[in-house]
Amino acid sequence: MNEETGITSAPGSGETAALDAQDAAAIMQQARERAGSELRIRRPVLFVTWGLAVLIGYGAMWLSVRGQHPFQGPAWPTLLLALLLLAIAAIITAQVVDRAASGVGGRSEVQRGIFVLALGAGYAALLIEKIALVGAGVSRPIQAVLGVTAPMLVAGLVFVATSASTTGLNWPRLILGLWLLAVAAGASWAGPVTVLAVCALAGGGGVLLMAAIEPRLHRA
Amino acid sequence: MSDDDLDPAIHVPARLRIMVTLASLGEGDDLSFTRLQDLIGLTPGNLITHLRKLEDAGYITTHKNGSGVTARTAVALTNGGRAALDRYSATLRALLDSAGTPVTGTRT
Repeated sequence: MNEETGITSAPGSGETAALDAQDAAAIMQQARERAGSELRIRRPVLFVTWGLAVLIGYGAMWLSVRGQHPFQGPAWPTLLLALLLLAIAAIITAQVVDRAASGVGGRSEVQRGIFVLALGAGYAALLIEKIALVGAGVSRPIQAVLGVTAPMLVAGLVFVATSASTTGLNWPRLILGLWLLAVAAGASWAGPVTVLAVCALAGGGGVLLMAAIEPRLHRA
Repeated sequence: MSDDDLDPAIHVPARLRIMVTLASLGEGDDLSFTRLQDLIGLTPGNLITHLRKLEDAGYITTHKNGSGVTARTAVALTNGGRAALDRYSATLRALLDSAGTPVTGTRT
């Protein structure tokens, strides 16, 4: 190891400290709690963050399109609010993940990379598709339905596809992914106005609900 | 059964903490030397000494990723190390049971 600096003895290293069985059990408990607290990604924080972002972002857009005849699309300030919420959620996510995953390498690092790559590629593809649809003259209501549900479809698919790993099944991710797919598919039938309300309440609400039940799923 | 039945390579406070911390990672994961040091709270010299003993016992592996200033030393538990910690935990539980002490914290 590169930190090897020629040290051959370890004064004060605890090598000779007497350790009885009770002390050993206490040390194991403390070490496990410390590792669990420091190395585990705090998923409830992420669920609350993204749940609120979806609920408020889509909710604000829904309020701005309610009663529009003909449908014009969400007001610009609500689109900016959604982008701002997205940016805040992304920053919080990066900080929460970095706090837990800093220094952790190996398979889970690869899995995190694939998760980010899949989401990034999915949203990049959606953006290109959106530009193509606008260029093809697709109507605003269709653009709106696709613009609201497609990101949820991508997130749902990525969640489901990355829920299995060598360490077992990530139940919260699998359940949330399936729920987002169901919400996106179901909301598409609601039309360009109501789709926003359905995705805000069922999508954002579902993510918030997951924040509450995730610790129980984790223990199970 | 007595304390002597506990694996001496693990039955030292610092090494026990190292083993439990590494066991909390997923299979195939490793932990950087600096993060491990932060979690265990040892000086680099002491940590190296304990890691060397665990490595000699075949319980952990260390490897260096990258080179120069970006080099990162990573530490991982081996399958043998995980099995040894399981055995240690079982022995510890048996000891505590025989002494009539409530057992906490010995599950790996």
